[in-house]
Amino acid sequence: MSTPNKGLVSGKIRGSAFLNILVGLPLMVIGMALSRAEPPAFLKALAEQGIPIDLGMVIAVVGVLIMLFPAIASFFIQPLQQAIEARNSELEKAFGSAESLRDEMTQMRADYERRLAQTEAEAREQIQAQVREAQQLRQTLTAEAAAKADQMVARAQEEIEREKHRALTDIRLHVVDLTLKATETLLGENVDDARNRRLVQEFVDKVEVPG
Amino acid sequence: MTDSRAAKRYAHALFTTAQKYEIVSSVEEDLAGIAHLLEVDARFRGFMLNPSVGREEKIEVAEKLFSDRVTALTMQLFRLLLGKRRESEFEAIREAFVELRREQQSIMHLVVRSAQPLDDAQRKAILDGLAERSGKTFEAEFQVDPHLIGGVQVEYGDYRLDGTLRGALARLREQLRYDLLKQS
Repeated sequence: MSTPNKGLVSGKIRGSAFLNILVGLPLMVIGMALSRAEPPAFLKALAEQGIPIDLGMVIAVVGVLIMLFPAIASFFIQPLQQAIEARNSELEKAFGSAESLRDEMTQMRADYERRLAQTEAEAREQIQAQVREAQQLRQTLTAEAAAKADQMVARAQEEIEREKHRALTDIRLHVVDLTLKATETLLGENVDDARNRRLVQEFVDKVEVPG
Repeated sequence: MTDSRAAKRYAHALFTTAQKYEIVSSVEEDLAGIAHLLEVDARFRGFMLNPSVGREEKIEVAEKLFSDRVTALTMQLFRLLLGKRRESEFEAIREAFVELRREQQSIMHLVVRSAQPLDDAQRKAILDGLAERSGKTFEAEFQVDPHLIGGVQVEYGDYRLDGTLRGALARLREQLRYDLLKQS
């Protein structure tokens, strides 16, 4: 951007330098001529009043300034303008870079927010899954515990029933023992010689001899 | 401590000799008499079985006690046992001798237990009944055991014939127990 401006400015300066010389040189010559000529009355009056003004010199200086203007513009204004343009360009670059960084940051922020949202969603999903799994596990454990409890109750009932049965059998066996002991006692008291003889005779009559 | 193998050897030699001279029953009676004395007379038993008493002294006492009461063969055996310090084997020798005699005569030994003492007629009826049914000859040893309550029980070989009230009650008890346990 600066290079076309620079060329344009140089062209303008070169174009105006010739015009300036055409204008400045006559003014310089005319001014020099006026300076050498007799000053007009009002200048004399001003000189007498303490304000000496050389109008010819002024015109000549103006002419010189007009002729020197392209050189001044070329050696002073143009570099200054280039420096300003370069500065502007750097500033534009800096602003562009800043803008780019800002866009990048915005993009990164958007990415970050998107990833954050995605992570949050995943985390939420995982939590939901864990919760579901925990609920399922709880249901399974509850069901197992209930089944085990039922089994234990059933087993305990069976055991109680078995113990009850065993106790009843023990009681019956005990009753049998007591009854037979009582019978033994009664028989011991009531077996006399005659009865004993009958028993011996029964043995002799009914005995079966093996071997 | 008795040595049953030695006792059987002594018994066998004694039985063979007694058979030879046909004095088996006399020798058996002698042995039973001496065994009875050893069983009932604690002083005699203590003297004969005391190891600190010399063998000559024991033989001298035995000669005085039995020489004119038992057969020469029995006396010779008793003297031999005392001389070899085998007097503690006497009862085992007697049992082995009786066993040999029963084997030789094909007699089966049986033990008859009853709650009350049996008279001769009852004993004979029992032995005749058993002999009739088995075709064997028995020699019985009768014992009284009030624990049997009533009736009679006979044991021989590996058999026991039980006609006692105690046995009947025991069988009844077993049957009832069996039925109860079967129900449960």
